[in-house]
Amino acid sequence: MPFPEDQTSYPDLSAKPRKSPLVKSLATLDRRPLTAREHKVSHFLLFLEDIVKVPLFRCQRCGECLLSSTAFICSQNCPKRLRNGPCGGTGEDGSCEVFPDRKCTWYRIYFRSRLLHRLSPLYRINSIHNWNLEKTSAWLNVFRKRIEAPSLFVRHDKQRVKDIIADGAAEEN
Amino acid sequence: MALQKKIESKQFVVCGEIGPPQSSDGDVIREKSKHFKGYVDAVNVTDNQTAVVRLSSIASAKILLDEGVEPIMQMTCRDRNRLAIQSDLLGAAALGVRNVLCLTGDYQTFGDQPEAKGVFDLDSIQLIATVAAMNNGFLLSGFEMKKPPEFLIGAAANPFAEPLEMRLIRLHKKIAAGARFIQTQPVFDLGIFTRWMERVVDMGLHEKAAILPGVMPVRSAKALLWMKEKVPGMRIHAEYVDRMSNARDPQEEGVAVAVELIRALKDMRGVRGIHLMPALWESITPTIIKEAGLYVAH
Repeated sequence: MPFPEDQTSYPDLSAKPRKSPLVKSLATLDRRPLTAREHKVSHFLLFLEDIVKVPLFRCQRCGECLLSSTAFICSQNCPKRLRNGPCGGTGEDGSCEVFPDRKCTWYRIYFRSRLLHRLSPLYRINSIHNWNLEKTSAWLNVFRKRIEAPSLFVRHDKQRVKDIIADGAAEEN
Repeated sequence: MALQKKIESKQFVVCGEIGPPQSSDGDVIREKSKHFKGYVDAVNVTDNQTAVVRLSSIASAKILLDEGVEPIMQMTCRDRNRLAIQSDLLGAAALGVRNVLCLTGDYQTFGDQPEAKGVFDLDSIQLIATVAAMNNGFLLSGFEMKKPPEFLIGAAANPFAEPLEMRLIRLHKKIAAGARFIQTQPVFDLGIFTRWMERVVDMGLHEKAAILPGVMPVRSAKALLWMKEKVPGMRIHAEYVDRMSNARDPQEEGVAVAVELIRALKDMRGVRGIHLMPALWESITPTIIKEAGLYVAH
């Protein structure tokens, strides 16, 4: 019984008030797996989504799209599938430590973010991947409020970065 | 424990590092710990570093505790999913481990079993946030624990990889997620390190976490060149290669280089300690600590 229609057997943890805001931000908005019907819809939407996202962004179909915060380069092309920035192994020329003839995905993301003035989204701590959403339609997941909606336009990028850094410094006191 | 108190009171911290053996021989760790006891504040125990199977970091940390040396347990995301990570962390806390260094982990193809499945369920930043949530009393499920662990969270940074700003963004995220001390890759290029450190100070990150630059004493020029070739993200200034290869006694020169680096780093603004990693050369620790003037007799 992989995806029962009746969801009462799954704890709805996101609905519970949490004392720790950190735990909440670490998980996707709604942690329930997709229902059988949603799976059917997702299957159809994924077909459409792939036509756009695979050739344009080399989408890896993680179901929790980060494209809008990674300057439209799919971070899941990283061999470690890192969602929060590069590992420590980027070479001097920006090569990937695992496949040295390839550029580090996050190296490309950084330079394109700088070009497109989208550096502030890189400061966000992205939530832990929900494997229930793997190979599902991210569009459906946004619509069903399982994941955050993408912010297609980033305004006042420089000011935002400044604020984030200043905020971090003030937190201590 | 001692490390946490020292970091909170902003004293100069010295960390060491031990690599557990590729066998079940715990005496290797006991033997190595003698070189560190009394000379450093805490000792890292690596978690299957370079993706080679070794005695587990939790067991090694426990052996160090029994020997009276404070361990910093490394925890990587390569070998465990989120369930195993949380359970191992709880187990370590129950054994008395208080310091954990959160790492993503070397990719499995670097090791001797490249066919392995790499997990990477979390990344290092999410791991830091997970430990911070556990310190607050919550597991990732949202379950509230009766007795939460009290970990001092550490993280790693590589000041030498490009691009610099992306490194700082990641450092910012690590500290925002809850890291309280940062150990860096071994410094063999003071120019690049200074450039990175100045930016860290500009961002005010040195106030929130103790930055502990890595210092690696090397025995020969060959070792240095090997690292330059094989370790991803390493930068080694040609000056040190020249010095090591022209030295009459490479071992002595290695110590001299390490001591010099420690002295230079100690005076740098924002640096709150040193992370000494004498890979396969643990016995040199007392000499270096004494010569660098960091030894405090108890």
